[in-house]
Amino acid sequence: MEQAYFDHAATTPPREEVVQAMTPYLRDRWGNPSSLHRTGTRALEGVERARERLASLIGAQPEEIVFTGSGTEADNQALIGSWVANRHRGNHLVTSAVEHHAVSHTAAFLESLGARVTYVSSDEFGVVHPDAVGAAIADDTILVSVMHANNEVGTIQPIAEIGGICRERGVLFHTDAVQTVGHLPVNVSDLKVDLLSLSAHKLYGPKGVGALYLRKGAAVASFIHGGAQELGRRASTENVAGIVGLGEAARLAQQDMAAESSHVAALCHLVLREVKARIPGVHLTGHPTLRLPNNASFCISGVEGEALVLDLDEAGFAVSSGSACSSGLLEPSRVLLALGLSPLVARGSLRLSFGRANTVAEVERFLEVLPQIAERLRKLSPVSAC
Amino acid sequence: MVMSVPKPDQSIDLRGTPCPLNWVKTKLRLEEMQPGALLAVVVDDGAPARNVPRSVETEGHRVVETTRLPDGVRVLIERC
Repeated sequence: MEQAYFDHAATTPPREEVVQAMTPYLRDRWGNPSSLHRTGTRALEGVERARERLASLIGAQPEEIVFTGSGTEADNQALIGSWVANRHRGNHLVTSAVEHHAVSHTAAFLESLGARVTYVSSDEFGVVHPDAVGAAIADDTILVSVMHANNEVGTIQPIAEIGGICRERGVLFHTDAVQTVGHLPVNVSDLKVDLLSLSAHKLYGPKGVGALYLRKGAAVASFIHGGAQELGRRASTENVAGIVGLGEAARLAQQDMAAESSHVAALCHLVLREVKARIPGVHLTGHPTLRLPNNASFCISGVEGEALVLDLDEAGFAVSSGSACSSGLLEPSRVLLALGLSPLVARGSLRLSFGRANTVAEVERFLEVLPQIAERLRKLSPVSAC
Repeated sequence: MVMSVPKPDQSIDLRGTPCPLNWVKTKLRLEEMQPGALLAVVVDDGAPARNVPRSVETEGHRVVETTRLPDGVRVLIERC
């Protein structure tokens, strides 16, 4: 039986149109976009068309798009580049306690270089409150970075409000929008962001390519050196086929986002209603309404999340858990702990993230299987004895 | 007799945009336009003012007129 894939927050299958758009740039249009001859120019056309499409998706100007090797790289450039370019103005960064590691580990790296970082807590739903961000901004703050939506629990942050505060205070504002671009309407002007990270493979594009929106005039230093590509903002010969794939994924997202969002939201609603009804000890995580339409996350107390993932894999379902086995110790998700969940509950986390190809029949089959697996694991699990 | 100057349907200012990026941006804009529509492109004098019209014609479009400005060259193109 084909595995039902409920892990679109991890990665999405490239759409056929994306593969078709990329293929000519692997076979015939393989030139270097920096070359002045026609072989190079044909490759450059693909890059620039993709830039226009992506800019259109997020309400930016094409020149404000910097293609990168990943969303993680875009986050690194946003934080490190902002710090390097603005150290004369200050040494303080503000971020949240629920960021992806691409931001939190980069912030920790900057701390190791002497930066001062404030990690703003969220509430129990994972919401980072604008007032708390405003209170954390100091005279020497140069950057605020708060994710658009959380990758584990799906909570959508009040980015426009936080952006408004940053504008008033004259502080650069970055958002990691890897989970939202292509799934929710994202407009950089409405969100009042100076920097925004995204990744192609989260919106049915290829892996190995992302982008950083860099508002015109925002002072951010280059991160990779050795060439004049991307208007001198990111050296290295472009991943032309990957960029073309991102552009096509952006075009398709603009066209299909509303219908897909409605479809996956219905699947989430079904799952969240039924797991609560069918399995005792279920704790829904994230905000009840301000959440990604495709994210259904919850914890099953007394069960290890990793064991759930492995048993569900055997049963034909690809899902993920915030908990992971590290050196024999089951580590609960730091994000779930930041939401105030006990380690015992957080260890039983499960995240389902739906996509355009998922069906109600798949979800109903999952809802038949999950209670049986949860009951069996509860009997076996040392966690249940705690 | 006074000749009327054709009014462009769209225009883009590509001063400061180097070759061949200026041509690529011109081409992408032409792709979005209907045959017969007019695009005015302003490019830097020098190599861009030579290269962009040449690429326009190589690609099968028509250069309607070229006008020297105080700080650039305006190329009026008919999308063919």
